[in-house]
Amino acid sequence: MAQTHSNFISGHSNKKISDEGMFMKIERSSEWKEGFEERLENRQVWDNWTLYKMCYEVEKVRLIKDFNGLQAPNFLPGLKPYPHQVEAAQTVIERMNGKAILADEVGLGKTIQAGLILKEYLIRGLVKKALILVPASLINQWIEELNQKFHIPVVQYNKKYDMSYCDIVVCSMDMAKRSPHRENIYNQDYDLIIIDEAHKLKNPKTKNYEFVQNLKKKFCLLLTATPIQNDVFELFNLISLLKPGHLGNFETFQSVFSASKHNVEEDEFLKELINQVMVRNSRHETGIEWTNRRVQIIPLEFSEKEKEVYDMISELKHVSPVFSGAFSMITLQKEICSSKHAAYLTLNEMRKKCTNPEEVSFTDEIIVKISQLDTNTKAEKAYEIIKEANGEKVIIFTEYRASQAFLQNFLYEKGIISVPFNGKFSKSKREWMKQLFKEKAQVLIATESGSEGINLQFCHHVINYDLPWNPMKLEQRIGRVHRLGQEHDVNIYNLAIKHTIEDHILELLNVKIGVFEKVVGELDDILTFKMSI
Amino acid sequence: MYPQQIHQYIRQFFKENNCEIIRESDNFINVQLTIEMDKRIMNRPFYWKYLESTGDEPKPAQLTLITDKNRLTEGIAGEVVHYGSPRLNQLFKVTKELGSFVQMYEEPANPSGEQTILTPWVGVNYKITYSSDRTKEILYSLGINLLTGAILNGFQESICLLNLGSRIAPNTFHVPYIIKPIRALERLDAVIENQILHDDHTWAEEAKERLRKDLLVLEYFYRDIEEADRPECYESEKKAMEEQYETKVKIEVINGGLFYLYTNVG
Repeated sequence: MAQTHSNFISGHSNKKISDEGMFMKIERSSEWKEGFEERLENRQVWDNWTLYKMCYEVEKVRLIKDFNGLQAPNFLPGLKPYPHQVEAAQTVIERMNGKAILADEVGLGKTIQAGLILKEYLIRGLVKKALILVPASLINQWIEELNQKFHIPVVQYNKKYDMSYCDIVVCSMDMAKRSPHRENIYNQDYDLIIIDEAHKLKNPKTKNYEFVQNLKKKFCLLLTATPIQNDVFELFNLISLLKPGHLGNFETFQSVFSASKHNVEEDEFLKELINQVMVRNSRHETGIEWTNRRVQIIPLEFSEKEKEVYDMISELKHVSPVFSGAFSMITLQKEICSSKHAAYLTLNEMRKKCTNPEEVSFTDEIIVKISQLDTNTKAEKAYEIIKEANGEKVIIFTEYRASQAFLQNFLYEKGIISVPFNGKFSKSKREWMKQLFKEKAQVLIATESGSEGINLQFCHHVINYDLPWNPMKLEQRIGRVHRLGQEHDVNIYNLAIKHTIEDHILELLNVKIGVFEKVVGELDDILTFKMSI
Repeated sequence: MYPQQIHQYIRQFFKENNCEIIRESDNFINVQLTIEMDKRIMNRPFYWKYLESTGDEPKPAQLTLITDKNRLTEGIAGEVVHYGSPRLNQLFKVTKELGSFVQMYEEPANPSGEQTILTPWVGVNYKITYSSDRTKEILYSLGINLLTGAILNGFQESICLLNLGSRIAPNTFHVPYIIKPIRALERLDAVIENQILHDDHTWAEEAKERLRKDLLVLEYFYRDIEEADRPECYESEKKAMEEQYETKVKIEVINGGLFYLYTNVG
């Protein structure tokens, strides 16, 4: 049997080494020696000279002559990565020592960067086992890309398998954080952890965060196009997961960067620190010719009847304590801006909680008014845009399933075929819907949860039927079509009803973009204008 | 490696392993595997197990490898191989398994009928890997004269063009060795260790420095918490860093053997 024994050399005979008091571990195996002995004693036959020479030649070709530089691209002649992707991989390995946030804008190929880094570490023997944590909907995409583009055999986590025998594992975050999977994973010794859609780790009070915090992270890549969604503390949390202390601890960070106090100098300092652990390319930095984004905000006026219902809903908080909570009020206001169907569901639920007759009758009155609404200003506008697109493909994003169904029906009556899309669809259904959209239907109507992990470069009109609170969600949506492979300018239409909650949403989106750009870098146009804080 | 080099490599590999080449162009190769090669590379143990139990006639597979997809004009279906592809990596691995140990005799160029005396050598090809969070590899090909104990660097380069055979040629003799081959191997191992000892190890110092800096940052994060009260992730974080930057040296033998040489290489 081959034995591995190691001995230590201290630097007795070498000044340089002994000065530093350095000890180095030498690993060697006695396997070859044993094979040699067997042949000397005629217990085994000798090998072929040509194969012997070929073997040595191959070793010469494959020799990694330098600590720096990437080997992986030589092994992947079919991949043809973009320069910014190769550069990012090299920066992560050589400047960030394998712990980094990959934060390229949506559609620039963060998976390719992560794949290059993983491949490089595998070739160099620095990573034997790796764990890739992703949203469930992206598992298959990761497995496919790593297999086909990188020749890295990956298995999907399965509690029936013995994880000691699975080297590269992809698992959904939701599953990984739960018992007994959590313990299964903790028991393995992973050299590299990759986490996709890492912005989901922004909150340190969540199970996701705690799970990752307790995971041993030798090399670690966090992938997100949106490292800040709302405020700079999210980035603090993300970096503290990757390299605790890099931005100081929470108290010091808070005292320096609490919104009221901080100034430009500190922003510069923060930017510098962030650059030490984060790679971010924006579209125009990649050197690739990008098509333009044409963004329009389309302000709309409610019809008389719609306005009446909106005002009545806003009035509800004065009428009944059931509606006085800010959250439920805002939800309802947003919903009625979307469609009566969306608002009706919520209203009906809340009506059940009303007790006094006055509340009930007022709510009922609204419900009657809602049911009588026969126009939807936004839907009409969306239809207009679709018509003007002249048969070209259009994606509509809405926040509500009820609006999604309504829109599909509404467009159908106008003679426009659409397909629905959301994150709950199985992989095959997603593919099927994508195919239908590509070949049969002019319009795809997606809810928010459908906006990750689907690539639709063949389409270049995006209607944001409802606006989310978070600018990065908008970016995610636009990124579905404005990514590598898009050949046309991309038209984005943001619909917003004047004098309603949607005014506030627009304003808030602007402020948040301001925070993001201060510390992370410029964002491609999401809204049409930018305001600073 | 260019497609032509890969093609040459694959062709040679199968030829040396007695697998018949059925069809080939510059861009693809179609071979009939031997039973032994099928068992090694086709990954179908159940088929072979089944055959053993039924006693049916074995039908080793044929393999078609496309070595240059871009130039392929023939309508050939097969596996595309390129540098880095799993199949080629597998063939490299098998080459190593089948080309680890040799015993070779030089056949003098112009046999004048006189007796020729060969000198015994042990030659070993080593690969050294330095690693921390990065890696670097160095090849050493060392030979040791089993009569004099003289050591030669670049041994493989000196002998690869000689006319060597696996049997001793007629009218040729070799001197019995004075240093036993195993002893010689140990001497070469010592030479390699000494070589490592005297090498420039700035890389290791730099790795230690990276570790030191990262540890400082970590300590800062937890500085307001007493050592004993720190959460588990503090320890695991620290352990991860120590592993990340751990400096290691690995010595591997690629292959080696006994060589009886007429040419004076050293």
